[in-house]
Amino acid sequence: MKLPISWLKDYVDFDDTVEGLSDKLTFSGTEVEGIIRVGSDYCGVVAAEVKAVERHPNADRLSVCEVFDGTDDWQVVCGAPNVAVGGRYPLARIGAVLKGGFKIKKSKIRGVESFGMLCAEDELGLSENHEGLMELPGDAVAGTPLSEILGPPEVILELEVTPNRPDCLSVLGMAREVAALYDTTVNYPDVSLVEAGAAVESATRVDVLDPERCPRYTARILRNVKIGPAPDWMRKRLEYAGIRPINNVVDITNYVMMECGRPLHAFDQSLLQEGRIEVRTARAGEVIRTLDDAERPLQPDMLVIADAANPVAVAGVMGGAGSEIRETTETVLLESACFEPDGIRSTSKTLGLSTESSYRFERGTDVGETEWASRRAASLMQQFAGAETAPGVIDVFPYPPAERNIVCRLERVNSLLGLRGSMNELLRCFALLGLPVVASDESFCTVNVPTFRGDLEREVDLIEEFARLYGLENIPERSPSGRIVKEANDRRVRALYACQANLCALGLNEIQNYSLVSPKLLDLFDGGKSKERETLPHPISADQSVLRTSLIPQMLDTLGKNHARQTHEAGLYECGKVFLHQADGQSPVEVERLCAGLYGPVGRERFDRRRPVAPDEMFLWLKGLFEGLMAAQNVGGWRLTPLENVFLEKGYAVQILLGDQPIGLLGVVNRSVRGAWRFNEPVGVMELDTNELLVHAFSIREIVAPGVYPPVERDVALVADCSLTHDEILRVIEQAAPKALEKVELFDLYEGETIGAGKKSMAYSLTYRSWDKTLTDEEANEYHNGVKRALRESLSVEVREG
Amino acid sequence: MNAEELKQLKEQALEETAEAGSNEALEAVRIRYLGRKGVLQEVMKGLKDQPPQDRPLIGQLANELKQELQAALTDKTAALEGATEGPETLFDYTLPGDWHSMGTRHPLSKITERAVAIFRSLGFTVAEGPDVETVYNNFDALNTPPAHPSRDMQDTFYLDNGDLLRCHTSPVQVRYMQKHRPPVRIIAPGRCYRRDTPDATHSANFHQIEGLYVDEQVSMADLKGTLSYFAGEMMGPGVKIRFRPHFFPFTEPSVECDFSCHVCGGAGCRVCKQSGWIEILGAGMVDPNVFRAVGYDPERITGYAFGMGIERIAMILYGIHDIRMLYENDVRFLKQF
Ligand SMILES: [Zn+2]
Repeated sequence: MKLPISWLKDYVDFDDTVEGLSDKLTFSGTEVEGIIRVGSDYCGVVAAEVKAVERHPNADRLSVCEVFDGTDDWQVVCGAPNVAVGGRYPLARIGAVLKGGFKIKKSKIRGVESFGMLCAEDELGLSENHEGLMELPGDAVAGTPLSEILGPPEVILELEVTPNRPDCLSVLGMAREVAALYDTTVNYPDVSLVEAGAAVESATRVDVLDPERCPRYTARILRNVKIGPAPDWMRKRLEYAGIRPINNVVDITNYVMMECGRPLHAFDQSLLQEGRIEVRTARAGEVIRTLDDAERPLQPDMLVIADAANPVAVAGVMGGAGSEIRETTETVLLESACFEPDGIRSTSKTLGLSTESSYRFERGTDVGETEWASRRAASLMQQFAGAETAPGVIDVFPYPPAERNIVCRLERVNSLLGLRGSMNELLRCFALLGLPVVASDESFCTVNVPTFRGDLEREVDLIEEFARLYGLENIPERSPSGRIVKEANDRRVRALYACQANLCALGLNEIQNYSLVSPKLLDLFDGGKSKERETLPHPISADQSVLRTSLIPQMLDTLGKNHARQTHEAGLYECGKVFLHQADGQSPVEVERLCAGLYGPVGRERFDRRRPVAPDEMFLWLKGLFEGLMAAQNVGGWRLTPLENVFLEKGYAVQILLGDQPIGLLGVVNRSVRGAWRFNEPVGVMELDTNELLVHAFSIREIVAPGVYPPVERDVALVADCSLTHDEILRVIEQAAPKALEKVELFDLYEGETIGAGKKSMAYSLTYRSWDKTLTDEEANEYHNGVKRALRESLSVEVREG
Repeated sequence: MNAEELKQLKEQALEETAEAGSNEALEAVRIRYLGRKGVLQEVMKGLKDQPPQDRPLIGQLANELKQELQAALTDKTAALEGATEGPETLFDYTLPGDWHSMGTRHPLSKITERAVAIFRSLGFTVAEGPDVETVYNNFDALNTPPAHPSRDMQDTFYLDNGDLLRCHTSPVQVRYMQKHRPPVRIIAPGRCYRRDTPDATHSANFHQIEGLYVDEQVSMADLKGTLSYFAGEMMGPGVKIRFRPHFFPFTEPSVECDFSCHVCGGAGCRVCKQSGWIEILGAGMVDPNVFRAVGYDPERITGYAFGMGIERIAMILYGIHDIRMLYENDVRFLKQF
C-alpha cells in the first residue's frame, strides 16, 4: 500500500524523520519497501509564458524563446519540441537549484545567450518524463512560484501489509499503528452531517436476501449533488495512493476507502429500477456490464447488488456501468457494506477481476465501521459535491457479532518469548494499541478485542502484539541447549553425503537437474511410454511437465550441452529422486537414484588425451568407477549381466545385480541417442538405486593381516579366441591354484595381426605367497605349472612360456 | 705394501683420475688400479704376506681405496659427459602435474551439507520427507487458511490424484511430529516446487532447509540464540542477526530474520544493497494449531521453526546473480566449487 505521509499526519501527530518512521514501522511488522519523494519546494522555479519562438541560428533542434516571468522578458534557449507561443511552462530562473544540485546560470548555447531554463518533468524530479517541457494549465499566471501550482512536496511510503493485518490497508489503520509506536493518539476526522429533506426510508429500500454473505449493508441518500472534479488536494492524494481520480463523488468514495479501509460504492439512484437495492445471488443467465466496460456473465454463486430487476454491481468487486455516477447525476445512493471474504475471493477469481475493493474484502473488513464510513463519505459529499444528506441511514445488520474477550497470561507471554516482562509492560502495550483491557490482576489480563482487529483471536495473537511492540531486538539470545533426542537417526543422509564425497574423490563433478523434465527428452530413453510417467495437469511449460523417471536423460542432456560449449571432457554425477507412476491413482513412488556420465578422455593420463576414445576404454572407465564406488561403500556380492536396452550400445550394456536383485545399469550410449547431442565419440552412463549403496556405508570389516613371507611372482601369457572372457580365465586359474595364490592381475591385452584374426593375447601376473614359510622357487614353479596345465586343458588356449 | 704406502697409492690414484681428460684415459686408470691384474688385486694377493695384526687395517684401507676410486671414476665420467653435452639441464618441474583431480560438490549440496553440519553440532538430526505431499500435510496441518493464495493452482503444482509437489519443506515437520513425541529437534533439507515462471531469481524447483525444535519451555530467546550461532558459523564470524515481525500461517509470533552483511560487516556494500543487512530466513514460534493438528498439547509444549532458501544463500555467498546458473551444470562453473 502507498501511504502519503501528509495524509497520515492529518490523523496522528508525531515528530520524526521519514527514515525514523520507516524503521519503526518495519521493525513493528509493517515493512517499508520503498520511500518515494515527489516534488520539492522548487525554489527559483516559476510559471512563465512563452511570447515568441524562433529557430536557433546555429542549431536546427534548438529554439530561442522570449519568455515572460511575470516581471521581465528573458531570452531562453530551449531544445524541447513542444515549446509553443502562448504556452505556460516552468522556468528555472538564474540562481535556481534543480534536482541533483544543478544550479542555473546565465549561459551561452551555440553562440546564443540564455537566461534560465524551461523545464521538463524529470528535471524537476516529478517523474522520469523527458518527452518535452512540462505544460502548466493555461490559466497559470506568469510569475507564480511552481510550488504554489503543484502544491508542497510529498513523501510516500510503500508498505508491505501482511495478510493478517487488513486493518493496515488504510491511512487510519496505519495512524493507529503510528500512534502506538509514538505513544500518541489518533484524531479521527469529523463526520457530522447536516441532514435535510425527506428521510432515507421514504426514498429507498434495502433487502438483504443473503445475510451470511452480506452481514451488514448501509445506504444513504444524497440529493442535489453537483458532479465535478474533486478538490486538487484530494485528487493528488488519490494519485499518490495509486488511484485515478474520476469525479467528486467517485473520488470521495475512493478517498474514504483509502482513509478507513472500507470500500464504498455510489449509485445514481435514478438509474436503479424502483430506486431500491436487493442484495442477492445472481440468477441463471444474468449478465452485467461492469465499470471497465466488460460484459460479464454471472454465476449463481456470485453475490450481486441488484435493483428491482437486474444486477447493478458485483458485490464488493465492481459496480455496473448502467448505474454509474455521470455528469447528470443528482441523487446518489451511497452503499457502505460488509461482505464475507471467501465469497468475494471466489467471485473475483472466477471473473478474473481484482480491484482495490475486492482486495480489501477478501482480507476482511471491520464490520464495526461500516456506518462510520458512510457518514464520512456523506460529510465529504456535502462539502465537495454540494450534496444534501437525507436524514437517517438504512442499516441492515441483523446479527451484530458478539463481544470478544481474550485472556492473556503473563507467565505464558514470558515463557514463549523468553523474557521477564511485567504486567505493567503488558498493559501499557495493549493501551498503546488501543486494545481495551476489561480485567486484570498480577498474572493475567483480559482484552476486549475491537472490531477493527479481526486478526486477534487467541492468546498467542496478543503475545505477538506484545512482542512486536516490546521490540524483538529486546528479546535476549539464549545459547543453544537442549535435551538429547535419543531415537533421532539420520544415518541414511550421512551415508549419502559420504557416498557423494566418494564420488568426488573418484573425480566426478556433481550436478543438479530439475525434477521436472520434457516428455520429448524422455521419449528418447523410454521409447515414448508416456503412460508410465507422472504428468502434471497444469505445468508451467511443456519443457517441465513430467516428473523424471530416470536421471539418465538429463545427464545426457547435461553432457551434450557441455560438449556443445566446446568442453572436451566431463565426468559428472547426480544424486536425486525419480518418480515412478502408479496406475491406481496413487501418488508416484519416489526412488533415490545415483547417476554418472562420462565423455571425452577422462580416464587418460595427461600426455595421451588427443587420441580418440574407444568404446572399450569408455566402458572400462565406467566399470572402474563403479567398482571403486562399490568398494568405497562396502558393497560386495554384485555382478554384471548383459542387457538389451534402447539407449545403450549392444555389447557395452550391462545390468547390475546385487544378489538376484537388479539395482541399476551401466554402459555406453548408442549412436542414435548420443547423435541427438551431436556426439561423435563414446558417452558412458550408469544409474543405480542409491539406497542400496548406503546400507553398509558405515560398516566396519575385520582386516586381513598382510603376509610376512616374501612373494614369488610368475607370469603367464596365453593366446585365445576373442570370445573367451577374462572371467572364464580367472575362474580356471582360481580353481587350479593352491592356497598360496594371493593375487592375479591382467597386465597386458593385445589383439592384432601378429597373433592372427579372431585371437587375442592376454598376460597375467600371479603372486604366490605362503602364510607360514618362504616359498622356494621349486614350490612356486610347481604351483605355476599347475595353473598353466589347467589353462591349456580346460580352455584349449595356447600358453606361452616366459 | 704397508698402510702408509697404501694411503699414498690412494692419493696417486685419485690424482690420476682427476687429471684424466678423456674416457680412454679414465678407463686406463680403472684398469691400472681396479682391473683383474691391477694394483689393488696385487695388494690383496700380498695380504697373506703381511703380519696378521696388520691385515685388518690394510684390508680396510684397500676397500676404502676401491670405493673412493670407483666413486671418483663415476663422477669424472659424468663430468666428462656433461662437458661434451654443454650446460647442465635439470628436469622441468614446471610441467603440468599428472594425477586425476578431485571432483566437486554442487554448490547447493555444499551449502546444504554445511548448514546441516552446523545444526547437527547443536544436536539437530536430519529428517526427510517425500517431494509429493498431501494437501493436508502441506497446507491444512500447517494452519494454512482454506482460501490462502498459495493453495491456488496458479502457485502450486497439483497431480491428477489431488496430491501436490510440496511448496516448502514444512510438511516434514508434520510427518515427524505425527510419528514422534517431544522433544523434537530436526533439520529437514529438501527440494520444493512452486509454479513460478523461471527468471533470474525464481525457479519452479528449489531447495529449502527447515528446522524445528519442540520441547517444554522452548522460547523465542532460544530461537534467537540458535539462529545467531548459525549465522556466525554459516556466513562468517561476527555476523549478527536481527528479527523483524512478519506473518506466516504456521508460526505465531512470526519473524523474518536478517543477517548482518558478511562482506561489509554492516557498513553497506553492493551485496547488501547498501543496507548492511541481508534477508535470509523466516521463523517463528510454532502456532498452537499446528501442534493440535499433530496431537501435541500446546499448553504443555512450545517450539520454534525456521526455514530458509538454499539457492538464496548460495547466490549470496558465491556471488551468483542468476538462479538458473545453478541448474545449468556448466562444467566450467561446477569446477569452481
Ligand atoms: Zn554489505
